[in-house]
Amino acid sequence: MEYRWQWYRVPRMFYRFIDGELIWGPLVKGLLVTLEIAAWSMLLTLIIGLVTTFLRLSDSLAGRVLARVYLEVVRNTPLLVQVSIFYFVLQPILGFNSPIWAGIICLSFYEGAFASEIIRAGILSVERGQWEAGSSIGLSRIQSYRYVILPQAVPLMLPPMAGILINLIKHSAILSFVAVFELTTEARNLVSDTFMSFEVWFVIGPMYLVLTISLSAVVAYLERRVRRPT
Amino acid sequence: MRVPKRKYRVHLLDVFIFALVVAAIAYIGYRVDSVLVYKWDWSAIPNYLFRYDEESQLLVPNLLVLGFLTTLRIAFWGIILASVLGVALGIARTSKRLFPRLVGWAYVGFIRNIPPVPFLFLFYFFISSQILPIISIDEFLSSASPSTIQILEILFGPANLITNFLSGLISLSLMISAYIAEIVRAGIQAIPHGQIDGGYSIGLSRFQVMRYIVLPQAFQRIVPPLAGQLIILIKDSSLVALISIQELTFMAMEIAISEQRFFEVWIFTGFMYFVVCFSLAMVFDRLERRMAQH
Repeated sequence: MEYRWQWYRVPRMFYRFIDGELIWGPLVKGLLVTLEIAAWSMLLTLIIGLVTTFLRLSDSLAGRVLARVYLEVVRNTPLLVQVSIFYFVLQPILGFNSPIWAGIICLSFYEGAFASEIIRAGILSVERGQWEAGSSIGLSRIQSYRYVILPQAVPLMLPPMAGILINLIKHSAILSFVAVFELTTEARNLVSDTFMSFEVWFVIGPMYLVLTISLSAVVAYLERRVRRPT
Repeated sequence: MRVPKRKYRVHLLDVFIFALVVAAIAYIGYRVDSVLVYKWDWSAIPNYLFRYDEESQLLVPNLLVLGFLTTLRIAFWGIILASVLGVALGIARTSKRLFPRLVGWAYVGFIRNIPPVPFLFLFYFFISSQILPIISIDEFLSSASPSTIQILEILFGPANLITNFLSGLISLSLMISAYIAEIVRAGIQAIPHGQIDGGYSIGLSRFQVMRYIVLPQAFQRIVPPLAGQLIILIKDSSLVALISIQELTFMAMEIAISEQRFFEVWIFTGFMYFVVCFSLAMVFDRLERRMAQH
């Protein structure tokens, strides 16, 4: 195998000192953008997931149809094509000019489908008797949700929701396709600038690994806490 | 529970959602027509599906259909390759000995925690620049007889792109196999332990217990999620467009740029994926329900 390793050039990708001043390199900047995308998407994903679940469990026919159409479309098309549609089609049509927000919204709609599944499963896993008990002591529907159902359902939802956050971090790499300067994009640029494919990808992989594995550890901790009888 | 024959009452929410959808469509229509002054032109799409060949006087598949065929080829070979590897890894993960278990654990953990895109870039570079030259596919292809080439073209696509196709296929299969390994592991671990003890008690060897008792039962639990994995594979195969494998998404990218028809091409491509994945999902759903009846 003929490959000239140039590991000594890697630290420069993280930080440099120019005239005694610390300047963050492309990889650190990319990592921050990735985290920013994941954070905003998580928030939007929760909102979309909640609204979808609400529509699916509602009595309204139009609501159920809308939720169903949304879920089937998102589940049965590749994320890359969805990103392209958000970036190349919806962005000009809706007239906002910001690739990163096109990406964040697209990721949120994608993961929102899975979030709604988790929320729905959490709510449905609360026994029917709990609802009946709630209404029998005179609680309204909203009050039953607030005081009876959600306190029992939310702990069940937490671990899979953290899984969604991991997926968001993983899938944000797909946004490198549409000029969002997150970690993978920066890595691709570095590869084309320096031709150090192995070094760059061997650094990027562990960076994602550290992020996702530490989140996985949080998930495992949450799962243990949920199982513990209180 | 809803009684089937009762007349449906229109809720306030129905009216609200209906108004919202109509408003959204009207707004998009207004933006496209009046602000962007965009003229929809779907006429180019059919030409990219099939074109009329002057020489042979026949309709021959063009870029979109060719790309679609490559996607199907990737899905077909990918699910086979990934299943073989995934079953091996899944068995390794349930092994009694530490070493195979550790290898399986590391492989699955590694792949499932790295985003697909950087993984594909790394493996594509590694496979295409280091592995494929070693097994010298190119030399084999240039010395192969025309009839061999013809068979290979049906199986793997155009001869000049086979190396390219293989590196994409292998990278993708390595990735999917980690997910299949988890499915297989769950399937094997769901077998009650008494079954395995029963096997040993009638004097079967470890291999025989696997072959005649565990795998046939695990198989039933593995098939439904494996079918789902095929749909995921079709969707994820779009990612190899990023490493220039000429499948559907790559072709769509090319056409959208060369024709400057981003709206039509991307919407149509999304529609093509949707039709395939949605119909497969419905078929699998029905099969699963039929299997559950028995």
